[in-house]
Amino acid sequence: MIKQISTIALATIALVLLTACSGGEKAAEVKTYKYTTVQVYEKSCIKCHGKFGEGNPAKKTPALNDRSAGEMAQDLYDVKNGGTNQSSGTDHEIMEHNMQKLVDQGFDYDIDSMAEFLSYLVKKK
Amino acid sequence: MKKSEILEEILAEVDKHPEIMSRRDAMKYLTMSPLAASILASATVGTSTVSASNVKGKILIVGGGLSGMSTAARLNNTISDADITVIEPDPLSCSYQPGQTLVAAGIWDRSEIVYKRDDKLPDGVELIKGSVTAFDPDNNSVTVDGSKEISYDQIIIATGLVLNYAAIDGLDGVITSAGKDNAATRVKIGKNGVHSIYFQDGAEDTYKGIQELIAKAKAHTGPEKLQAVFTHPNTPIKCGGAPKKIMYLTNARLEEAGVRDKVELTFYPNGGKMFGVPEYHEAIVEQYKERGFKWHYAHNLTKIDTDAKIATFNHHWKEKGAWDEDLEEYGIELKSEPVEVKYDFIHITPPMKAPDVVAQSKIGSSKGWVPVTKETLQHVKYKNAWCLGDVAAVPMGKTGGSARKQYRVVVDNVIASMEGKTTLPAKYHGYTVCPLITSIGTVMLAEFNWTKKPTPFVPLDPTQERWIWWLLKVYALKPMTVIGMLSGKA
Repeated sequence: MIKQISTIALATIALVLLTACSGGEKAAEVKTYKYTTVQVYEKSCIKCHGKFGEGNPAKKTPALNDRSAGEMAQDLYDVKNGGTNQSSGTDHEIMEHNMQKLVDQGFDYDIDSMAEFLSYLVKKK
Repeated sequence: MKKSEILEEILAEVDKHPEIMSRRDAMKYLTMSPLAASILASATVGTSTVSASNVKGKILIVGGGLSGMSTAARLNNTISDADITVIEPDPLSCSYQPGQTLVAAGIWDRSEIVYKRDDKLPDGVELIKGSVTAFDPDNNSVTVDGSKEISYDQIIIATGLVLNYAAIDGLDGVITSAGKDNAATRVKIGKNGVHSIYFQDGAEDTYKGIQELIAKAKAHTGPEKLQAVFTHPNTPIKCGGAPKKIMYLTNARLEEAGVRDKVELTFYPNGGKMFGVPEYHEAIVEQYKERGFKWHYAHNLTKIDTDAKIATFNHHWKEKGAWDEDLEEYGIELKSEPVEVKYDFIHITPPMKAPDVVAQSKIGSSKGWVPVTKETLQHVKYKNAWCLGDVAAVPMGKTGGSARKQYRVVVDNVIASMEGKTTLPAKYHGYTVCPLITSIGTVMLAEFNWTKKPTPFVPLDPTQERWIWWLLKVYALKPMTVIGMLSGKA
């Protein structure tokens, strides 16, 4: 282990401690989408979740108009990422599968923008 | 604080295990580079970046663990004549939870992770030794211990989460990591090969359990191996890596004792992958293969019979369903079956949830966790309410490393809000860190954020296990946390 010590390692430790203390953050990458958020909803989501996000019991699709934008963003994050934890899995197994298919069809969207749009449905209702 | 206090702590930690790294080697790292000296200095001075504020108003912090107490300290450092109250019932609330893994592996003594609430209370901050029993955010007040009402101008929720052992059939107790009120849980956990590192007593018992497993393995004959089982539940958990860390460390102790070939180690997570970040997922799979670990995804522990030593998992999977014309694809159907697994040793990671008093109040949400705008950490409904740490509904955020980023964001935004500013200046980007201990002496430092890409701070391949991260995890992070962060500085 002693032999492994090198200048690089020293600089590394130093850098880690430095950055760990500086609180620096990198901004997320900018991603572009095929459709706008509203288009995604009106071309796709609306088919199962309804015009006002009321859901469809016959298809077992849940309502989307019962949550705040903050809560919705959490759920959309879980759906799109297949869970929010290392190995806990997702609360939305079916939608996780469907979302992957929809993304392949071009219906991808920004989570915060979609959550904001859905909270507008809440107000309209 | 003395400038050298953190350095002294690091070296004191190093001294305890000369067989892993000598003081001389550690000193070489820490003193040969001019950068290191400046860093250690910055960790102890830290407040220079924060300008003093004269804002007025009563700030109430619910919970005096790492998140709550660090936030109190930083607000107290920043606001002149601050009016801050912390409500915390547990005298050991400031204990260093990331060390529980190391206690369980026999690397640290329990006494090395115990930190007292009263020692970490910043000067001038009021402490209420009690529990909030009701939240009334519409009237800006809370109730303590069922009777005393306390009002506030700003409230910061930092209660942490609870370990829900009772959710598993055969176990009992809804407890916290340092709380003494864990007798119901300890009826079954901490003996007979059933262990759990998520609470202090449990961590200490786990080391005894590993030694019992080693003794059993030494006496074991016959072709069938002893079974060591490691679980990961279907809820968000604090320190998502700990279920794996204890598996790596058990492996290391079995190897050291020369009985690794007598024991099979199997991981049963509810989810379908090792890590949300593909690069780290693949690295862990490789590490598992190298060590001869087994794993079965999509298994959630639901029941345990500690007499028969049988764990029952809900194994679930997806099958191709009917054509869905709305989706323009085949749908899926969910299937599940109970699976019984015999064990000689089992490490249980309990399901976790927000405390009921939070979850069932207006401040909570349908899932329990406090809903905040994940960047600003402001409550989605109540603009004078803020939340950080384990109880916040923030993806991937339940680690001390996340809290260390979050508490600065909360402090900056609370003060801006009290100053009447309409835009909140600070944003959390989801940074979290998992120093995944892969053996005694090596750690993979998995850093990432909501982009789900590795976000290493140094130009080294982050998927490699390295002994320098062991130095960081085992020697440097505790002093940085209990000295630097709990004083609101680092």
